[in-house]
Amino acid sequence: MPAELKQMKDLACTSDSHVHEQSPSNQTSIAMMQEPQEMVEETVTVEEDPGTPTSHVSIVTSEDGTTRRTETKVTKMVKTVTTRTVRQVPLGPDGLPAMDGSSPMGSYTDSIDRRYLKNGERFITPQASSTLTRSYNSYNESYPESHEGQYRPYIGHDGYGDLSDSYGSLSRGVGYRPRYAYVPGGTYRPDDGSFTLPSRRENYGPVAQPQVPVGSSVDLNRSQPERFQPEPYGLEDDNRSLGVDDEGYELDPDYSTVNRRTSAGVPERGRPHKGRGYDDPIETEMVEERIPYLHGGYAAPLAQPERGSMASIDRLGKRSPSIDSIRKDPRWRDPDLPEVIAMLSHPIDPVKSNAAAYLQHLCYENDKIKKDVRHLKGIPILVGLLDHPKPEVHRKACGALRNISYGKDNENKVAIKNCDGIPALIRLLRKTNDMEVRELITGTLWNLSSYEPLKMVIINHGLQTLTNEVIIPHSGWESEPNEDSKPRDAEWTTVFKNTSGCLRNVSSDGAEARRRLRECDGLVDALLHALQSAVGKKDTDNKSVENCVCIMRNLSYHVHKEVPGADKYQELDAGQTTGTGGSQKKKKDDAGCFGGKKAKGKKNGDLDRNFDTLDLPKRSEAAKGFELLYQPDVVRLYLSILTESQNFNTLEAAAGALQNLSAGNWTWSTYIRATVRKERGLPVLVELLQSDSDKVVRAVSIALRNLSMDRRNKDLIGSYAMGELVRNLPSRQQRSAKNLEEDTVVAVLNTIHEIITDSSENARSLIQTQGIQKLVAISKSSQSPRETKAASHILQMIWSYKELRNALQKDGWNKSHFQSVSAAPKGSKGTAGRSGYDDSTLPLVDKSQDNEKSGSRDMIPMDELGPDGYSTIDHRDKERKYKTIDNIGDASEKEPLKNDTNRKNINRSNRASVNLVDARDIKPQPVDSWV
Amino acid sequence: TAAPRAWPPRRPWLRAGLGQLLARTDTEQRIEIHKLRQGDNLILGFSIGGGIDQDPTQNPFSEDKTDKGIYVTRVTQGGPAEVAGLQIGDKIMQVNGWDMTMVTHDQARKRLTKRNEEVVRLLVTRQSLQKAVQQSMMS
Repeated sequence: MPAELKQMKDLACTSDSHVHEQSPSNQTSIAMMQEPQEMVEETVTVEEDPGTPTSHVSIVTSEDGTTRRTETKVTKMVKTVTTRTVRQVPLGPDGLPAMDGSSPMGSYTDSIDRRYLKNGERFITPQASSTLTRSYNSYNESYPESHEGQYRPYIGHDGYGDLSDSYGSLSRGVGYRPRYAYVPGGTYRPDDGSFTLPSRRENYGPVAQPQVPVGSSVDLNRSQPERFQPEPYGLEDDNRSLGVDDEGYELDPDYSTVNRRTSAGVPERGRPHKGRGYDDPIETEMVEERIPYLHGGYAAPLAQPERGSMASIDRLGKRSPSIDSIRKDPRWRDPDLPEVIAMLSHPIDPVKSNAAAYLQHLCYENDKIKKDVRHLKGIPILVGLLDHPKPEVHRKACGALRNISYGKDNENKVAIKNCDGIPALIRLLRKTNDMEVRELITGTLWNLSSYEPLKMVIINHGLQTLTNEVIIPHSGWESEPNEDSKPRDAEWTTVFKNTSGCLRNVSSDGAEARRRLRECDGLVDALLHALQSAVGKKDTDNKSVENCVCIMRNLSYHVHKEVPGADKYQELDAGQTTGTGGSQKKKKDDAGCFGGKKAKGKKNGDLDRNFDTLDLPKRSEAAKGFELLYQPDVVRLYLSILTESQNFNTLEAAAGALQNLSAGNWTWSTYIRATVRKERGLPVLVELLQSDSDKVVRAVSIALRNLSMDRRNKDLIGSYAMGELVRNLPSRQQRSAKNLEEDTVVAVLNTIHEIITDSSENARSLIQTQGIQKLVAISKSSQSPRETKAASHILQMIWSYKELRNALQKDGWNKSHFQSVSAAPKGSKGTAGRSGYDDSTLPLVDKSQDNEKSGSRDMIPMDELGPDGYSTIDHRDKERKYKTIDNIGDASEKEPLKNDTNRKNINRSNRASVNLVDARDIKPQPVDSWV
Repeated sequence: TAAPRAWPPRRPWLRAGLGQLLARTDTEQRIEIHKLRQGDNLILGFSIGGGIDQDPTQNPFSEDKTDKGIYVTRVTQGGPAEVAGLQIGDKIMQVNGWDMTMVTHDQARKRLTKRNEEVVRLLVTRQSLQKAVQQSMMS
């Protein structure tokens, strides 16, 4: 019997902590993951909405279609162009000639203006370039290239302003266009800061000049025969082209001058286009004019808010019936799914990005489409687009993947993994500074992390990157804090939430996953810092905090067995104090009949009291990394969370962390148990026994049981917690006041059992709190064999205290009530048998844990982390190279004039230049020449 | 362990992308580009690829991979070519009346960059997106 009791206690501890670590985290994470996931999805939607006009501008700029709204604008512009600028506009029905250029021009202009205003004289070339980029691609997507954090806040505020400005200046910009040639570059200074540009041109201009005198070349040109002849001044042409290449900025002054001038005269429109583009009757009318141009090749209509488009159709229907014919026009149709997927491979980038965006839309809440995309082999293409240099493209691809990865269909997740989507996502995360892209990436990873087989893959490819790129920066933790500055607070961003959710999921993947997370540089430090920041700001209810606490809880599981050097503390502990002492004590108590208990108890109390005065080990240096998990300092943190938070998941996790930390048989758990008491944590925990949440009650109850391994704690808990514990038990009338789950009831029963073990005082307080009635009821009539079994154990234990029998019999109880398990026919045998079975499951769990642990230990040597780290670094280097190329390529896409400089040496590798690859390596002959 | 799926209200979504409408025919059109003076240079704001001296199989825009014509590979945002409606992937058939389907890359470049011409009139063909998509589906 004694052995059995002890075993039960130990096993129960183990299994419970196991449960704590594994299943709750899994379940909740999955649950969590889905919810936020969904939110993520929605977020995208939300974000896309405002973003649309912007991107449409850029898309219009390029070649294929746009929203009606944008097109409207464009149409306006086209008119202008037609009449003023381009004298011979393409006559074809598909014309749309000028539509492209103007919108970027406008926005471009405007941004430059703003840049000027902002930067004043400090405006220099590189800035100009980033400005261009951004304005081209709309403020969102250009972050990656612009890569200057400095602009971000500004853009954040003003992005839409930019946009509308650009709209506003579209037509006029074009209208003024013919003038730009006459603008005296160096002198025209319409705006305050703008003179910098001309002056820059003055600086660079001379350098840019071709070697050959212009005049002569002109003459030569004139004298040229009309057909293709070797042209003597070909060199000049080259120079010129080189000149353009080298001094691509040359173009900027002109453009900016023109545009600046035009936009200077154009009143800002504020934000009208963002909010109410369709409301503008003028614009609406313009749609009609757009129609003829629609047909012009790629200028297909673009994404539009569904509601918006309907609205506009309605309105237009009244105004001009012909608009409906757009939709019914036999020349037009919706692309089917295979076509959309094929478009992902189209050489024109906007087609790619639009196709990806359309896919994202189609996949939203549509599992069948997701599956179809998988069957049509769309996922590898989308993954491939993650490496695309253009933000517009990889962002949309990421958005599509995020929707595809969401849901119960794990095959989609596997498909993403099978085409190396996880490393690709991680690569992109390293590359991009665009918050939205980062949210999409981490959201996707969060989705993927919910599927067990992918967890280790994510750890292998992304753990350190996620930590370095997201967790650490957003946590506010600094590995080498500046003495002067006060510690930074954590930022509860979506990216952090997603990433912590992802890590939370993967942290439940067993011993090896835990080991990797614990040993991931800076992870534990950053999580703790974030949580401390949360407590400091009394902001402990949010999802990110929940994720962090859950990770900490999981990493605290089996910490006494799994961290390096745990043996040392184990031996010390087992040899001297709790471990051996505890079991010996128990054996002695049990063996020595029940009489000596009080004395023994006291003695043990004295022994344990030593822990009150026990000095924590002095550290020569501050703990870091995984050591922080089990330093007694964390107790205060968890207790603060338990006091502050209203989030049940967070409460459960914090209690679970204390449970895990107090479970072990090593020195640190001894300290933890004592620290909880000294930090006045027991009342906090006891109060939480009143929680409405089943799982909080369960976690707290189990924590209390583990804590009562400390003798002093046991006495205190017995005195002060028994009432609350009993209150959580079901009575005969109703299962329980709260209708707790079986697991919880069993946990409470096991805790009671632990508390009264070796303590007749505690057993007495159980009697005084009217617990016997409930226990007897459970043991006689519960439908749950586990509850019956656990209650019976308690009753047997009580009956074993002979000094209590008098009191019990006075209350009307007799021996049969306490020995129902072995004696009573009803359910006794069966119950005993089943409970025996129930017990046997506990060791199984434990065993599997041990197997897993030892297995993983054997399989994964500690060195493994090294290679991983190295490979990460390697990847990074590769990334960097790649990134450089990409950036250049990407930038050149936006402002080729400028970037030709670079292009001469590094040609774009991924896009659309004929013979590009060969040319790069072989020779100077231009295969892709700017003209 | 099934999570409660609290779907967000479906938002008006962008019917994304390139449009759900596909043109069914190729187009041929004339585009007039006014060169932009940049210092002493005149630029058009686009780049070309291809030519009879180039490897036509590298051309991502051509339907027929033996086509050695001149193609627009990039267009400067806001540049003259873009303003005039030139698009990536356009095949340049003529420049100011001169045939461009059988020229070397360099010849084409020079033809486009004549200093004495401030206006360039192009005849280009533009593949319909529908065809381009079908094409990429076959490959």
